[in-house]
Amino acid sequence: MSLVAEAFVTQLAAAEPWPENAALYQQLKEEQILLSDNASSLAVQAFLQMCNLPVRVVCRANAEYMSPSGKVPFIHVGNQVVSELGPIVQFVKAKGHSLSDGLDEVQKAEMKAYMELVNNMLLTAELYLQWCDDVTVEEITHPRYGSPYPWPLNRILSYQKQWEVRRKMKAIGWAGKTLQQVLEDVDQCCQALSQRLGTQPYFFNKQPTELDALVFGHLFTILTTQLTTDELSEKVKHYSNLTAFCRRIEQQYFEGNDKESSSTAAARSAKKSLLR
Amino acid sequence: MMPAPTPLLPSGRLPALKTKDNGTISKMEQIITHLRKQKYNADYDLSAAQGADTLAFVSLLEEKLLPVLIHTFWVDAKNYVEHTRKWYAETIPFPLNFFLPNCMHKQHLERLQLLWGDGYMEDEEKLEKELYRDARECLTLLSQRLGSQKFFFGDSPASLDAFVFSRLAPLLKAKLPNGKLQQHLKSLQNLCNYCTSILSLYFPWDGGEHPGSAPRAAGTDEAEEDPHKRRNQLLSVLVGLVAMLGYAFLSGIVSIQRGGAGPGARQPIAMQEEEEEEEE
Repeated sequence: MSLVAEAFVTQLAAAEPWPENAALYQQLKEEQILLSDNASSLAVQAFLQMCNLPVRVVCRANAEYMSPSGKVPFIHVGNQVVSELGPIVQFVKAKGHSLSDGLDEVQKAEMKAYMELVNNMLLTAELYLQWCDDVTVEEITHPRYGSPYPWPLNRILSYQKQWEVRRKMKAIGWAGKTLQQVLEDVDQCCQALSQRLGTQPYFFNKQPTELDALVFGHLFTILTTQLTTDELSEKVKHYSNLTAFCRRIEQQYFEGNDKESSSTAAARSAKKSLLR
Repeated sequence: MMPAPTPLLPSGRLPALKTKDNGTISKMEQIITHLRKQKYNADYDLSAAQGADTLAFVSLLEEKLLPVLIHTFWVDAKNYVEHTRKWYAETIPFPLNFFLPNCMHKQHLERLQLLWGDGYMEDEEKLEKELYRDARECLTLLSQRLGSQKFFFGDSPASLDAFVFSRLAPLLKAKLPNGKLQQHLKSLQNLCNYCTSILSLYFPWDGGEHPGSAPRAAGTDEAEEDPHKRRNQLLSVLVGLVAMLGYAFLSGIVSIQRGGAGPGARQPIAMQEEEEEEEE
């Protein structure tokens, strides 16, 4: 999703170098954040790690309302605030850091296409599971989403969000799907990603790109999150090269620097994120 | 198994395929799955990796191009009023043509508001600019992926080609008063040629009007506007002539004399001669 402030921000950003105190905001790791937001947040963290840009993860219960686009995560760099992976990639590029400069035009087109595949299918499937599958909604989504707020407000906010997501699902034609159909879509998407990855270390051979960060964010979160059933993670586990890919990126970018500040905590928290 | 769109569909959706066994199937994906079950498949020759690419590019189109196409045809005020509404109202029978297009307009508008969020309403112009930029980028990416190939996966068509063509051809051929996106598509020569070649290959009855390559198709567009222009020019010249002659008759400069042409023809010439003499 495009951002209102994006064009303005990228123009201003170019001159200043990356500051030490850059911060990434997301919801509370242990008790609040949901599968889809955690995946997006992890994707951005992985991307910044791949660019070798330090960022401090800050958890706020109202992160969703702080974000300029209403979506999590967002980064606070210098005096600028940018949200979501697409605009953040552009913002970082304006500062002179890019992962996809080495690709030729056809590869860039393919990279963009696969990123949309992940957004179109994996992200939508996560949202569907979270807000449209009744068991998950009752047992996980509502308690977690409303957790920071007192009684009447937590129900109101949860139902408001649920209504909004369900209307969006209707608009894109997913409202009529059954859970089985959605899982089939996830399987199809994973199969495509697995095919594309093949035996390479990254999607475009030796160097990671933003596509790798995005895929890692989503698959790792799906693999390490405990839901009401294992059906979703089973779909991903079926493809051994994808699980190996996740492990490789985790080791390379999240286990190396063991400071409590940013990365490992995020990776570890992802494992627990929806555990109750 | 005769494919035939019915005027009244249970689901109200097009396209629809009427089959003997399964009744009417609507929605593109379902029709394609149905045809696959009947062993009609455009993707037999593709490798698994190419199948993956198909899925990825279809997603790219759905996410980036499709909403903006809906905006171009249904929400953009100028295009909707001057092109789409007129177009639909002309084909829908009488009482319905007054409100059906507006209903569809509202549905599409609501859908876009849901997809793009509330910010779309608050800062319409800017968001529009960015979404159109994304859509233009999507077209450029498609053009780069296609390169100089005949189809996306070499020399034979696959389902991705059908999908891309179905999105691009209307944009290329519609006569939109506000053609921001259209201009960009027309500047990508290989995509234009791709569309016209598919038109002439698989839709010869439509393509007959626009044969050959893109420049010639553009030429026929102008030619279609010409008859009106010619007719208007001719009419205005006629009206002018009638007015002039009428004035001439009424004020008596010219009069019709029955009997031989001789004296009538002689008189004006004589008058002219007199005038010339006076000037000298």
